[in-house]
Amino acid sequence: MLSAQACVQSLISNVLAKFGSTSQKLFLMFVLAGISYGATGLGAMLLMTLLANSQLGKDASSKHGISAHDSSRLGGLAIAIVILIYTLGFSLISPYTPGPARDEAFLYLWCAIFFCTALGFAEDVKPDFLTPSLRLAVKFLVMAALFGLAPKFIPSSVGISIIDSIITLPFLGWALVTVFAVGFINALNMADGANGLVPGIAVASFGVFFVEYGRPMDGALLFAFTIFLIFNVISGWYFLGDAGSYGLGAILLGYGLLGVAEGQFSAGFMAALFCYPCIDFLVSVIRRRRAGRSPFSADNGHLHNRLHQFIKLRIKSAVMANSFTGLIISGSTSGAVLIAYLMDVLPTESDLWYLFFVAEICLYLIALNYFTSIQPKTQYADPL
Amino acid sequence: MRILLFFMVAIGLIWIGVLESAMSSVKSFNQHGNAEVLESQRSIHRILALGFVGGRVVSKIVSNDSHVASLNGNETSLGDNGHVAKNSE
Repeated sequence: MLSAQACVQSLISNVLAKFGSTSQKLFLMFVLAGISYGATGLGAMLLMTLLANSQLGKDASSKHGISAHDSSRLGGLAIAIVILIYTLGFSLISPYTPGPARDEAFLYLWCAIFFCTALGFAEDVKPDFLTPSLRLAVKFLVMAALFGLAPKFIPSSVGISIIDSIITLPFLGWALVTVFAVGFINALNMADGANGLVPGIAVASFGVFFVEYGRPMDGALLFAFTIFLIFNVISGWYFLGDAGSYGLGAILLGYGLLGVAEGQFSAGFMAALFCYPCIDFLVSVIRRRRAGRSPFSADNGHLHNRLHQFIKLRIKSAVMANSFTGLIISGSTSGAVLIAYLMDVLPTESDLWYLFFVAEICLYLIALNYFTSIQPKTQYADPL
Repeated sequence: MRILLFFMVAIGLIWIGVLESAMSSVKSFNQHGNAEVLESQRSIHRILALGFVGGRVVSKIVSNDSHVASLNGNETSLGDNGHVAKNSE
């Protein structure tokens, strides 16, 4: 048994060692981008490579989660540029009319996404440019304005009677969804701590939205995030940054809420799809409150930190240990929901998706408890 | 200066995919919204421009709009996904 395990480990190490150098990583990234998205994929990959090597938004390895290399925080900017080129070009040449031009609600949503992305971009370019409380206040303001101007994003039912009775009340419904929206955007930002974690969740989510709706914008988002996922997982040189995670949070939130409000998806489905950032955020807030610290202060007690600590003892490559951590978590949560959706396990509007969500929570808590029991305390982290 | 050239190459390559997907979309409307005709025209040209995943993504966008177009007969209508679906009949 032990020899088989050693054999698998040495096989993985050999494969990873072959793709260890920069040029080999670049080769692999470009090949995967070319196979999946052809010339367009190569162009997007080249754009990301150029931006990753710029001095703007450079982040020391010590500043970001579990990364062991200096990296760029301009992933969000690169994704925004790719989506902008694609959408602009497509709407100029084909009969496509972008959502904001034909629907007022989409216009407000994309304005909110723009403000959130700009807020994060300021932080990426000049860290601590805005205080955390000011950023939080701006996010509240933007989300409150969005749901005030476009109430169609507020669902009338989420399948839980207590919340349903509150959400239907005009002011309380608006306040509840605003608080949830700001929490969700922060949760996604907090979960962005391992290669392929948040990008993996994004690819699974846009995969679901694209298969369900077939909108060109979903296709463009799926394309940009797939290329970013390949780049992020193989090289580890690039992070979404605050611009990427705030912007992505606002997009997923808007699309998710609209899907629930229009009855296309149940709230249980969305909860299952976005389980990891939400649960990790809640557990982290509880952990920090119990330790007597600010709920928004950084620490290394997340599940992805614990899992990474476990994996890095078994894989020599620091980047691959980081990437496996992110892919395992995003694959076993949002990735599993994508597969279940593609296999038509349940109708998307079924409340039974809450069972899937509960199963994910159980898996999260079991894994966290296990890693906490076998690992010494990480900085500031208290066991649950 | 070399960086600028690389940026231009990158944007040019992305533009190839934009052109290919937009042209597929326009062709589909001119062919009476028949997505199957478009499917049969998938060529090496399309694979090079959009790749295997990108080609399927564009097929889905086009077939989705073709469906909207055929449902709406002769009318010029706004598709669910934002295309102005136009039937040439």
